[in-house]
Amino acid sequence: MNRREFLKLTLALFGSFAGHKLFGKLNFAEARASAKYSGQKWGMVIDQNKCNGCGFCVKACQANNDVNPEMAWNKVYSSTKVGGKEIFTPVSCQHCEHAPCVSVCPVGASYCRDDGIVMMDYERCIGCRYCLLACPYGARSFNWDTFSGPNPTIPEWGEPDVERRSRGVVEKCTFCFQRIDRGLAEGLTPGIDEAATPACVNACPVNARVFGDLNDPDSPVSKTLKNSPAFRLLESLGTGPRVYYLPPQPVGKDNNT
Amino acid sequence: MIAKMKSFSINPYNAWLGFLLVLILGGITAGIFVFIRGLVITNLTDLTPWGLWIALDLSSIALSAGAFSLCAGVYLLGLKQFKTLARTAAFIGLTGYGMAMLFLLLDIGRPDRFYNGFIFWNKHSVLWEVIMCIGLYFMVLTMENLPNLARWRWLQDRFPKLVGWMSQTHDNAPYLAVAGLVLSILHQSSLGATYGVLISRPIWYRPGLAGLFFVSAIAGGIAMTLMVAVIVGIIRPGLQIEEKTISQVARFLGWALVVYLYLRFWDLFAMTYTIQPGRAEGFDLLTRGTLSFNLWYGEILFGILIPAIILLKGSYRQNKLVFLAALMMVVGGLIAYRWDTNMVGQMVVQSPLSVVILPRYTHYTPSLVEVISSAGIIAFGLFTITFGIRHLHLMEQMPFANNRIN
Repeated sequence: MNRREFLKLTLALFGSFAGHKLFGKLNFAEARASAKYSGQKWGMVIDQNKCNGCGFCVKACQANNDVNPEMAWNKVYSSTKVGGKEIFTPVSCQHCEHAPCVSVCPVGASYCRDDGIVMMDYERCIGCRYCLLACPYGARSFNWDTFSGPNPTIPEWGEPDVERRSRGVVEKCTFCFQRIDRGLAEGLTPGIDEAATPACVNACPVNARVFGDLNDPDSPVSKTLKNSPAFRLLESLGTGPRVYYLPPQPVGKDNNT
Repeated sequence: MIAKMKSFSINPYNAWLGFLLVLILGGITAGIFVFIRGLVITNLTDLTPWGLWIALDLSSIALSAGAFSLCAGVYLLGLKQFKTLARTAAFIGLTGYGMAMLFLLLDIGRPDRFYNGFIFWNKHSVLWEVIMCIGLYFMVLTMENLPNLARWRWLQDRFPKLVGWMSQTHDNAPYLAVAGLVLSILHQSSLGATYGVLISRPIWYRPGLAGLFFVSAIAGGIAMTLMVAVIVGIIRPGLQIEEKTISQVARFLGWALVVYLYLRFWDLFAMTYTIQPGRAEGFDLLTRGTLSFNLWYGEILFGILIPAIILLKGSYRQNKLVFLAALMMVVGGLIAYRWDTNMVGQMVVQSPLSVVILPRYTHYTPSLVEVISSAGIIAFGLFTITFGIRHLHLMEQMPFANNRIN
């Protein structure tokens, strides 16, 4: 091989890489512009006064998103006792404004949609699990094994309308983006119409969860946040979570953290 | 084939190769098992997702750092006396990065998508930068090693023209040294930053990790190269590197360790006197947990302080075995540091529930599959280095001409 041939080969190699990258970029734009966007930022409010730890939201989530029973997108922690009453903190993806998982992902498989939903591209994820370390909320789970068996929560708690994830990728709560997108296409309002609202919100028997557009002052979430003091998890880290919690009353009255 | 079988005899060299071969076969079996069954057969969990493989991957990259530092010394600073050592280091580097890639291939959940990092660029991710640098630097190392591979007689007999071209690439050595220096400075430090940027784990979240990884990699990489040279010198006294060269490099290594020790103490105080919530509490947990012996006695005393004294005092260095022990301590200390750094942030996990960060302790012990596959990859590395010393004559002075050896 002479110098010319060597250079040709090198150029061809780089060319093919560049072509592949461009092709990937085009794909990227197509896949991620699917949601019709008109200025919403989806958010959720969880009222700790109402939550009784029944776990209905966990089951509804598992059924609607076909989550492996060994994993959970939505966990309910028993956190403390206030005035002799047990207080629960349901934790799922906080859909952070400055999501640490998005900035660390080497291949951009974690990304933020325009409407604030932090999403996973399961076709791109290489399974490095860096985002698991980066997430301060432990909201992400890795598919250590193939989920092939039946889902025990189906059909009692709902029917899944998303594909099961493959072994070796990371997954997490999506605010039930499929329900939001389909609902918006049908002219429904997420947070008000059940068909367009995340499954956990619908399943809550005590209405502890409220969902809606944080940018819309008339949405259920904005109204709730206007009337009560609220806090977010690990706010000091500056991640800007879009899940708000209404603290249990005795604490809430004299402490607005 | 039969004739070859007849000439086989049990000597220490063949026993060594046999031993490595058994480990490699075990590793291949374990690796296939991992690919078929998935990562569920490891002891990794959502709380401790990075374990033995990542620690060894980081170690093999750091122990390869002799390649860029010695090549820069020879080709950029003009320290021609280190040429033999740099050649050995470059080959160890190629081996180390090969090992690192094997570890990564095992570790990622979708090994069939390993190339995604080169296609989809997230320029904000430190890990993406590391992937790119490792990929590019592996290419640089391959080119740097073409003249070495040209010294293989088997290749010379079959492809004399190719070998001629391969030896000529030695002319590019200075350019490759610059590329290697740039890429290595980037990713050796970024591997530390990989942990340092994670705000979710207060025990990791500090800028010092990048510098510490870089300095410790230089010390570890040079120690690794010297260690191989000294072991080969003991086994085959004909292949000794000049005493003067060795002691020059050893003195440099000793001072590098002193700098590293200083930085470690600076890092310790920065960790202790801090207003970062959760860090002091987490650090307090660590000094009482299972890693505490490793962290202080293991790493500081055996990994840095004692070898630094031996390396800097000429009379201690005279004894070949003491010298070798010091080099092994540096290498072991580096592996311990990578293991500990990887584990600390995962063992002390903050709870998302409280406004104040409260650490809690998690546990991780590698599973048998992880251990066997790791042993296989390490054996592969040792096998390659043995091959290099034996068949590429890395430690021998030889002309880089097109003509055959002998």
